Amino acid sequence: MSDSDSIKEKWKKYRNPGYQDKFDYSWGMVIDLDRCTGCEACVTACQAENNLPIVGEEGFRSGREIKWIRIERYWDGEYPDIKLRFIPMLCQHCDNAPCEPVCPVYATYHNQDGLNVQVYNRCIGTRSCAAYCPYDARSFNWFSFTWDKPLDEQLNPDVTVREKGVMEKCTFCIQRIRQAKDTAKDQNRRVRDGEVQPACVQSCPTQALVFGDRNDPDSAVSKLAQNPRGYQVLKELNTNPSIIYLKNL
Amino acid sequence: MRQLKKPTYAQVNDDIVRTLVETGPRYYLALGTALLVSIVLFFLPWYYQLRTGVGLAGMNQPNVWGSYLANFVFWIGLSHSGTLLSAVLHITQSPWRKAIYRSAEAMTLFALIIASLCLFVHLGRSWFLHWALPYPNQMELWPNFRSPLLFDVMAITAYLTGSSVFLYVGAIPDFAAVRDRVCGWRKNLYTLLSLGWRGTDMEWHRLGVAYTFLAVLIIPLAVSVHSVVSWDFAMSIVPGLHHTVFAPYFVVGAIYSGTAGIVTMMFLLRKYFSLESYITTTHFNNLGKLLLLLSLLWAYINMLEIFTGWYSGSSAQIETLNYKLFGYYAPLFWGMVLFCAIIPLALIVKKVRTSLITMLIISVLINIGMYIERLLILTTSLSRKYLPDYWGIYTPTLVEISIFIGSVALFICFFLVFVKIVPSVSMYEVKETLDTPDRRR
Amino acid sequence: MAAELLGLFSHADQALKAAGGLRDTGFQEISLMSPTPLHGVEQVLGRKTSAIKRFTFFGMLTGLLAGFLLAAGTATLYLLPTGGRPIIPIPPYLVISYEVGILFAVLATLFGFLVSARLPALRERHYTPETHIDRFGILVTCSSEQDAERARTIILAAGAEEIRQLEYLGKKSHEQ
Repeated sequence: MSDSDSIKEKWKKYRNPGYQDKFDYSWGMVIDLDRCTGCEACVTACQAENNLPIVGEEGFRSGREIKWIRIERYWDGEYPDIKLRFIPMLCQHCDNAPCEPVCPVYATYHNQDGLNVQVYNRCIGTRSCAAYCPYDARSFNWFSFTWDKPLDEQLNPDVTVREKGVMEKCTFCIQRIRQAKDTAKDQNRRVRDGEVQPACVQSCPTQALVFGDRNDPDSAVSKLAQNPRGYQVLKELNTNPSIIYLKNL
Repeated sequence: MRQLKKPTYAQVNDDIVRTLVETGPRYYLALGTALLVSIVLFFLPWYYQLRTGVGLAGMNQPNVWGSYLANFVFWIGLSHSGTLLSAVLHITQSPWRKAIYRSAEAMTLFALIIASLCLFVHLGRSWFLHWALPYPNQMELWPNFRSPLLFDVMAITAYLTGSSVFLYVGAIPDFAAVRDRVCGWRKNLYTLLSLGWRGTDMEWHRLGVAYTFLAVLIIPLAVSVHSVVSWDFAMSIVPGLHHTVFAPYFVVGAIYSGTAGIVTMMFLLRKYFSLESYITTTHFNNLGKLLLLLSLLWAYINMLEIFTGWYSGSSAQIETLNYKLFGYYAPLFWGMVLFCAIIPLALIVKKVRTSLITMLIISVLINIGMYIERLLILTTSLSRKYLPDYWGIYTPTLVEISIFIGSVALFICFFLVFVKIVPSVSMYEVKETLDTPDRRR
Repeated sequence: MAAELLGLFSHADQALKAAGGLRDTGFQEISLMSPTPLHGVEQVLGRKTSAIKRFTFFGMLTGLLAGFLLAAGTATLYLLPTGGRPIIPIPPYLVISYEVGILFAVLATLFGFLVSARLPALRERHYTPETHIDRFGILVTCSSEQDAERARTIILAAGAEEIRQLEYLGKKSHEQ
């Protein structure tokens, strides 16, 4: 009977690891560490684009800053022979994200674009996702933050403002992706390479950050990802991040 | 050892009913204090935190879990021995269980309730906790059963239900016995609770069967509850948490702290309810032996955890380990080793086990050590995750300390109300340990 | 007219002896009431079996199945892939299955206990408060005056302290 067949098929489908074999788009990023100067323009752009609250001096000192992207700074070697290295660190949008299965209420899950998304309104604030994240890419709203006048005028209307007790993290500027996808759909085509850029990519003066669809073999990210300098941070943890770093030699 | 004269059947009833109905001013003073402390130190700060945000606690970005979660694990751990110990001892038919098990089970129940409250306190948006419960809703969205946190929700629900049923079924004959001795609102209450128990041979038989089955069910349940709690941590890939040994480690730790909790509680019950003829040094001696065994087991698993972490040689593991042993929290760590592994070795001496005051001191120290352990598991691991740029330090704030003290007061509150409602020593089972009044004797 | 006799003993062995005597004489409805479970009841009144184990067993089975179905079923209602795991991963759902299994088994055991012990008592039944302290009671249903007389003799012979004839409450409405 077709009924039992469909149940069998469904079972097979639901038992498939990852569930979706092929994403509509597979958004990814390549970060060339050779080009990164550590100027933190990306951090500022992200702050402006995504309505990141300003936690104030005390909040920053106690390690509660809300940053979706940060520049990690490492010193390599001993004094006079020393080298400074920067690694921009943001949500890696792992295919096997450790943060996702731990959320008891599905506030974070994988969408059809291969993005690890966070549903602010669903979040109950167990903070387990942040504890599970090996990249420490998640930030928690320890309080409800307000914007003093006239700073509230510069809030981005496309992005919600988060309340206290909610986890948040880099979305790859999903509002821009949505907009690009809508435009593309209206014109009956796929999103072109370079048509959509998160705020950090857009603002990078040295173009160290490149964003695009990894499903498209001709896109800039796919080509750059082939670079022999490419590596994934903490690859040994098998999280399979969507961000490829190009080694600083 | 038991020099005290054995009470007669009628004396047992008199003694236990007396603890229920005769209430002195000292009791009200204690209850009032506990209530006041729990309101001022638990509910008010919690309300303040609900209004402002969890940021009142000392947690920060790498240390997103702090003392609230440690409180949760601590209370779950305390809840562990009561019902579990009672069930194991029931199945192995140890007669010395009979005087202590009722209050031990009550401890389980209340510690579990406090633990669930601690989860509420821990959450960023406590008012949405019901989203983690499986119920059909207008959003057509169910909780994520893949999450270890949801295993927790299910396990705690099952354990809370299981231990209350176990406690209640075991207490039905005693409710019936009390029913005939009291008047007023108590009469109505106990009539309802005793369900019309008459103590016929048929009823005793059914009770025995059901009770044994419940005991058999409770043991794997209790073991699974703390395994599941450990998986909240061990399912992560954080160095220092991601250990296979975590489940047995937590279960042993839970039974350890729970047994110590029982010793503390028995000391207080014996002292303030004059139950000297029921809670004897035999009980302390036996529990002391159990504590000694558990302390050795606990120390062994702890060493094993450190050893396997060290042997893995992975840089993240080694860093976490070094940090735990010699870093910022090292004094706490060595304090824990002293309280939980070294001092309890004194229990090898029989004089220590049979002296009530040393037992009290050791049991309290063990629980202090176990609380430190729970705190260290979270703080030493989360503050040394993979990326060194994001290492951090966590220190509890006043709000957290006050909430912990308040939760202890709340527990005492629950317990004080309990001892006035449920016979804190099982009458019918104490009678079983006495000689049956036979003509032959 | 049916009646119930209640004999009260201060010693357990006497109560057991009386129960044995009554049983040998052919009385069917004998209940021993005691403050603690009596050892040796089985030898006197026969071995008892109860249906509780079946309740527990089927409760457990239902729970195991219900737990798995709850987890797997709700996951398929709204497909939200997480962490590269399948929609129906077996190991985590087995944990849910296990917990719900035990929960159901506990509740079924409680239910089975109440049903088989006929609790809560919905109708009034005879008992004496003394049997909850230190007396052992024996309650026997007699169908006729002669029976009652015989039972009274046996109970007294066994050494009862007190004997009471009670109105038969059990099936009052049917008798009249």
